[in-house]
Amino acid sequence: MSVNAWELDPEFKYEVASTPGGENIMRCFQCSTCTASCPIADIDPNYNPRKTIRMTLLGMKNKVLSSDEIWMCAICQMCTERCPQDVRISDVMGAIRQVAEKEAKKGNIEVKSVRPAFESAFMHQIEKYGRSYEIGLTMEYYRKVHKGFVSAMMAMQKDYTKLGIRLFKKGKMPVTSMLPEKIKRTDEVKKIFKSIGD
Amino acid sequence: MSVTKLAYYPGCAGATHAIDQDISTKAVFEQLGIELIEMEGWNCCGAAEAEDPNMVYALNARNLVIAEKEGLNVATPCSICFYNLARTDKALKEDENLRKRMRDIDSSLDYKGTISAKHTLDILVNEVGLDEVGKKIKKKVAVKVAPYYGCYLERPSEIGFDNPEMPDSMDKIVELAGGMPISFRQMRIRCCGGPLMMTRGDLAFELSKRVLEAAKKEGADCIITACPLCHMMLDAKQPDIEEFFNITIGMPVLYFSQLLGLALGVEPKKLALNKNIVSTKEIEEKVI
Repeated sequence: MSVNAWELDPEFKYEVASTPGGENIMRCFQCSTCTASCPIADIDPNYNPRKTIRMTLLGMKNKVLSSDEIWMCAICQMCTERCPQDVRISDVMGAIRQVAEKEAKKGNIEVKSVRPAFESAFMHQIEKYGRSYEIGLTMEYYRKVHKGFVSAMMAMQKDYTKLGIRLFKKGKMPVTSMLPEKIKRTDEVKKIFKSIGD
Repeated sequence: MSVTKLAYYPGCAGATHAIDQDISTKAVFEQLGIELIEMEGWNCCGAAEAEDPNMVYALNARNLVIAEKEGLNVATPCSICFYNLARTDKALKEDENLRKRMRDIDSSLDYKGTISAKHTLDILVNEVGLDEVGKKIKKKVAVKVAPYYGCYLERPSEIGFDNPEMPDSMDKIVELAGGMPISFRQMRIRCCGGPLMMTRGDLAFELSKRVLEAAKKEGADCIITACPLCHMMLDAKQPDIEEFFNITIGMPVLYFSQLLGLALGVEPKKLALNKNIVSTKEIEEKVI
């Protein structure tokens, strides 16, 4: 990969370091223990957390933020645990994802991954009900990703009919779970979202 | 110190796909004479989807306050809930500024730090203790078990309660129950891919397939887990994984509380073993 100095953004690493979770990124000395420990890198050799960190430190902002890799992390904490520099790579990846979402909202980059849509649909359920509501989550997520009700329903049917029937038959999708389980003090939870957002 | 009463945090999955974990956890604690009181009005911990640590701290400060008001320590059977509750507990106890920031959002987040939040496995093995649990064992579950720890029980180590490279608390439960834990050396701490299930299903399937195949290759009769997401991947999605890769696995996956419950003499149905997707009949037949 060629690196063009004039395309680098020296501020990028500070932006990540000042995002919650990203504080320790500059401790990285590129030993690659993270990549060697990573179960995702074990499956897909293109996935390389060491490289993502290096690119971030160099200031390759657009390349990092529009990459697929940052959305492939399973947050398993193996890298964080084994890192000799306490970079806290799982959390750093989370910080980079937060910056990517921010930049995508501003229209500065394009995120191809569906993960931000899933995460925001998940957080919406908590904001509304205080708890996760699986049906609401799936509906919101599929509608966002498949753009429109009909295609969302068709995709959901394709992906989840078998699993849904399996769970239903075993009483793991009880009738009570068809509706959200709303807590009494959603006002307290809404205050959290108003103050921190997500 | 004997444990008699705990604030129970079931987690969102406890009402749906992890209802078997909820039922079996309650059955085990009942056998041990420990009261689990469900926390009133608890909220979701943010799971793996809340990217901002401050969001995790705020959501779980509220949960911790609910238990703190009752003067009870929190017990949760879910690994992800445990990770979020415990890291919030640690962060707030260590950082007065963070406590103030939480308090400023709302008084319902005003955590004083007088309690703790633990995983039910940690409580059973390290607080109640194997000797105490051992006294209540009535039956022998003579099976070979792959103890699958996944991620958050032991990682990151300043939050986790078990050895980060070679956790063994579930091994001890298996031995107590009269079973034999297989080595499962590398796979026991390898991620199941659960957090990627909805967005990168292909990666999640590959990760779970490796866990299932390793257990089978090492001759396990079943896998045990302590996490609803691991259980979802390995049990509920096992038929999908078999279809996706065109392979046959047929590996029963139990919550550790279901296995322990059998040894405590609880009927399989009261441990919700009838709700497991892959049949656990062969395991139940080996209870003597």
